[in-house]
Amino acid sequence: MSRTDTLPMPASALKAKSVTGLTTFDTELVRIAAVAIVLLGCTWLLSGQPFYMNILSYTFLFAALATSWNIIGGYGGQFSLAHGVYFAIGAYLAGNLYIRFGLSPWIALVPAALAAAIAAALICWPLFRLKGKFFGIATLAVSEVAFVLANYFDSLTGGPRGMSLPFKAGFSNMIFTNRFSYALLMLGFLIFCLIVSGFVYRTRLGYYLQAVRDDQDAAQASGIDVLYVKMTGMALSAALTAMGGVFFALYLRFIDPPTLLSLPDIGVRFLLISLIGGVGTLFGPLVGALLIVPVEFYLRATIGGSIPGGHLVVLGAVLILCSLFLKRGIVGAVESAWQSIRRRRHG
Amino acid sequence: MSAFINVVTVGLLLGGIYGLVSIGLNLIFGVIRIVNFAQGEFVMLGMYGAYLAYLLIGVDPYVSILVVVPSLFLFGVVVQRFILQPLQNEPMMQVFATFGLLLLLQNMVLAITRGMSYTVPTPLSQVHFDLGGVSLSLSRLIVLLSVCVVAIGLSWFLKHTLLGKSVRAVTQDRRSARLMGINVEWTYMLTFGTGAALAGLAGTLLAPIYTMSPQIGGNFIVAAFAVVVLGGLGSVWGAFAGGFIIGMIEAFAGYYVNPELKHVAWFLVFIIVLIVRPSGLFGVMGAEEVGLREQN
Repeated sequence: MSRTDTLPMPASALKAKSVTGLTTFDTELVRIAAVAIVLLGCTWLLSGQPFYMNILSYTFLFAALATSWNIIGGYGGQFSLAHGVYFAIGAYLAGNLYIRFGLSPWIALVPAALAAAIAAALICWPLFRLKGKFFGIATLAVSEVAFVLANYFDSLTGGPRGMSLPFKAGFSNMIFTNRFSYALLMLGFLIFCLIVSGFVYRTRLGYYLQAVRDDQDAAQASGIDVLYVKMTGMALSAALTAMGGVFFALYLRFIDPPTLLSLPDIGVRFLLISLIGGVGTLFGPLVGALLIVPVEFYLRATIGGSIPGGHLVVLGAVLILCSLFLKRGIVGAVESAWQSIRRRRHG
Repeated sequence: MSAFINVVTVGLLLGGIYGLVSIGLNLIFGVIRIVNFAQGEFVMLGMYGAYLAYLLIGVDPYVSILVVVPSLFLFGVVVQRFILQPLQNEPMMQVFATFGLLLLLQNMVLAITRGMSYTVPTPLSQVHFDLGGVSLSLSRLIVLLSVCVVAIGLSWFLKHTLLGKSVRAVTQDRRSARLMGINVEWTYMLTFGTGAALAGLAGTLLAPIYTMSPQIGGNFIVAAFAVVVLGGLGSVWGAFAGGFIIGMIEAFAGYYVNPELKHVAWFLVFIIVLIVRPSGLFGVMGAEEVGLREQN
C-alpha cells in the first residue's frame, strides 16, 4: 500500500488526495462508509414497501456481483463470461448443504467461496494463455458447458426441474419473513464486496492487475508474475461471486440452470452493469446496478406483461446507445465532465 | 456398421449446417476483428424472413433467398456503418454493442411473434433418399451442397477478384492497406454485409428443417464460435472443415456417449484446440495476436 500521508483518516478524507496524488485505501473506506449510510437511509425510508424492498435487494445483490466481476474484469481486463459458473457453484453448494445436512447458509459461505476459488483456478489456469476476446469466447464456452452439466447431474442440482429450498424462517437459515431483512442482508454483502474491491484497487494486487490489463508484456518485463496476479484476482473475484450465489439461492429459494447460468440474465449481466456504470472504477458497478436493475424492474412491470420481451428490447437498445455514447460508463463520463469544469475554472 | 454410417451421415449434415453458419461469422471475425454475438440472431432473422416471405407472397423458402439474402446484406451494412464503425478501436464496446443487438433482435421477434413457433412448409422437405439403410432428407442435402458452393465461391472471390484482394489486404494490415489506397471502411461495410447475408442464407436454408423460435440463434452461435476457433481465424476453409469436425464430434458423442453430453464434447475439443493452437487448425500462426494489435 502506498501510504504516504500520516494524517488521521477524516483529514485525509477531506483532502481526498494524498501527498503523492494517489487516493489511498483509507480514503476509499471513508467513501464506502458514506455510500453505505446513504443506501441504508434509502432502504430504511422505503422499508414499509415490499415491492421496493424486492427491487432494492436485487439491486444491491447485482451491484455486489458486478463489483466482484470488476475485480478481474475491470482492474485486470480479463473479460470473463464464466462468472455464472461461480455463481452457480455457490448457489448449488449452499442448497445441497442446507437440504442434505441442514447446514446453515452462513457457514456455507466459506466452502462456497473456497470451491469457487479452486474452480476458478482450475478453469483459468489453462485459459489465461488466451488474451482479450479469445479469453472471453473461451469463458463463454465454459459457461455453456456448465449449463449442460448442471442439467445433466440432476442428483446434485435437481437438473432441469430445479431445486427448491424449504421455507423455514430464521436467522440461522438466512430465510426471513420480511423483505427488509433481505435488503439489509444484500446491502451488507454489497458493502463487504466494495471493501474487498477497494482494498484490491488501492493496493499492490490492484496496481499489478491494472498493469497487466494495460500492457501484459510490459508488466511481465517489469517483473510482475502475470499468471499469478491474474489467478489471484480471478480466485478472489470468483469467491465473492459464489458468496453472492449463496445469498441469491436463499433469497429465491428456488434455483435451476436457467436462473443461475443463462448468459443474458447472469453471466453477461455482471459485465454489462459494470460497463454501464464505469468499468475498472471502484463505484462504477454500483452506479450501473442502481440504474439498470430498477429500470429493468420498471420496464418488466410496465411493458413486460403486455409485450413479451419488451423490456429486453429496451435494454438492448440502451446497451447499444451506451456503447456508442457512454464508452467509459457513467462514472467515466462524470469524471471527465468534472475535469473539464475544473480546467475551465483554473484557466 | 449401418449405425456407424448413420452417425457419419448425421455428422456430415450437422457439419454442413455449422459450416454454413460459421463462414459468415469467420469472415467478420477475421477481417473486422469483431466478435459478432448477434450472428446467431442474423440466422434467426433469415429463418423468419423465409417465413414472412411465405406468409406474404406465398413463395417457397428456397425462392425467398432472393429477397432475404439482399435484405440481410443491407441490414448488415447499416449495422456496421452506424453501430460498429464508430467503435472500431473499442474492443470491449464492440462486444457490448453486438450483445445489445442480440438482445434487441431476439426480443423484438419475441414481442412480434409472441413466442409462437412456426415452420415453413416446402414440398422439398418431404423428399427422402434411402441409401443402404441410411435416410437422407433433401433439405439437409441442399444445406450440405450450399456450404460447399459458398466455401468454393468465397475463396475464389477472395483470391481472384480485386475486391477480394483488398479484403485480404485489410485483414493483414489495416494501415498499409489504407496507404495502398484501399477504402478500409468501405471494405468493412461490405464484409459485414456479406457476413450478415451468409447468415441470412443459412437461416433460409434451415427454415424448413428447424422449428423457429426467437431464441434459436443461441443454438448456432456458440457452435459457430467453436467452429471458428477450431478452424482458424479468417480462414474460409477453416470454417468449412471446422464445421464438419464439430458436426462429427457432436454426432459421435451423441450416439456413443450420451445425447445430453454431446455439447460438452465439442466444447472440450474447442477449449483444447484454443489452448494448444490458438490460431486454429487452418489459421495463420499468430493470427490471434494480430487481432489484438492496435490498428488505426
